[in-house]
Amino acid sequence: MIKKIMATGLAAGLLVAVGTAQAAEDPIATRQAIMASVGAAAALAGSMMKSEIAYSPVAGKSAIATMNAASHSYGAFFPDGSNASNTKAAEAIWDKPDGFAAELAKFNAAAEKAMAAAGKKGPADLDAFKAAMGPVFGTCKSCHETYRKKN
Amino acid sequence: MKKAIVVLFALVIIAAGVGWGLSEPTRLSETEVSALKEGDPGRGETVFWAGGCASCHAAKGAKGDDLLNLGGGLRLETPFGVFVAPNISSSQADGIGSWSLVDFANAMTHGTSPDNRNYYPAFPYTSYARMTSQDLGDLYAFMNTLPAIGGKAAPHELGFPFNVRRGLGLWKRLFLDPEPVIAAPVSGVQSDTKLWERGRYLVEGPGHCGECHTKRDFAGGLVLAKWLGGAPAPTGDGSIPDITPVEGAFGSWSAADIAYYLESGFTPEYDSVGGEMVHVQENMARLPASDREAIAAYLKAIPAVASAPN
Repeated sequence: MIKKIMATGLAAGLLVAVGTAQAAEDPIATRQAIMASVGAAAALAGSMMKSEIAYSPVAGKSAIATMNAASHSYGAFFPDGSNASNTKAAEAIWDKPDGFAAELAKFNAAAEKAMAAAGKKGPADLDAFKAAMGPVFGTCKSCHETYRKKN
Repeated sequence: MKKAIVVLFALVIIAAGVGWGLSEPTRLSETEVSALKEGDPGRGETVFWAGGCASCHAAKGAKGDDLLNLGGGLRLETPFGVFVAPNISSSQADGIGSWSLVDFANAMTHGTSPDNRNYYPAFPYTSYARMTSQDLGDLYAFMNTLPAIGGKAAPHELGFPFNVRRGLGLWKRLFLDPEPVIAAPVSGVQSDTKLWERGRYLVEGPGHCGECHTKRDFAGGLVLAKWLGGAPAPTGDGSIPDITPVEGAFGSWSAADIAYYLESGFTPEYDSVGGEMVHVQENMARLPASDREAIAAYLKAIPAVASAPN
């Protein structure tokens, strides 16, 4: 039994290690995958805000939690030299690292606050959800203004 | 031989004289001046946001009430050189506080300063020329209520021949035309004519959308045949997108999608607004919802410009 648990633990550890190695090898693909999840969370949130789909606290919490997870991890995938010309990451990320870090900190602070407001079951109604998610949404364009390439 | 030189000399003098005459800064006519009257600052605030004045004339990165401090200083780095946005606050000494309404209207619609010099078209008077005298009067009244900010902005940094202001008179003769760009809604698209015309006014006039979304020729004039068809970014790298109803591209946005984007900053795919458009979107979000709907109605019923923007 103990052996089995150890084996599982080892396997899980290996998986994490492999995952980390992949992220380090391809930070561009990793950050793009994270931003795709942010986009999907924004679509879920926005569709509920526009009442295109019915609001549900579970869905609200899912969107907020996705934003929160992304805000903790996203900034780690912009190592020097990952400024390939075919990505939308602007040179300003590497030219003004302090400014970029400040924008990431804003995203993280807003997402953590939304997470706290969401509580265990998610924001109770659409108004509560809008109040929690609104400031997170505001940080999207605040960062994209300077740190994403124009189309 | 001597005669040829004399003739040549005379021709040069005539050409210079004609050039000087054609480059004379133009001004409003007597009739246009008499139509001007100082307006309502409350209405002028809407015109102020529609015109995007703060996006260039407030300090870089300004938010909230700081957007009303129009001390200038923003640097626009373009292929023609660096343009520095001037102080247009109500300061008598350093801003435009001493200007009359006629001075203001001549600047806005003719690109001509009170002391009869030509402005560079980085100041988008080529679009503002389409503004109504009522809107100009209201905007003037509103801007007079804004704070006086001391200190003049630095001069532009331009090389020859772009540093010859007089030459802009010729440029204005070629490219300053207050007529509408798009005469009527594209046929086959259902649209409320009144709403469409309001949208045209906002887009082609105060909103000055064409200044970035339309490509320019070698002389810096807008290529009107490719109106709003996208262009290389005038500052920095990247490009400004095509916002004509091209199938599979911007044409897939519904009018409601366009209005929502201008209000919230989110595309139909929930990508967010970025770059200089952030300021534009935040300005548009301050307009009445009907104005955003008007802009959307206009953009849905203009000719599609299909070719690549560059």
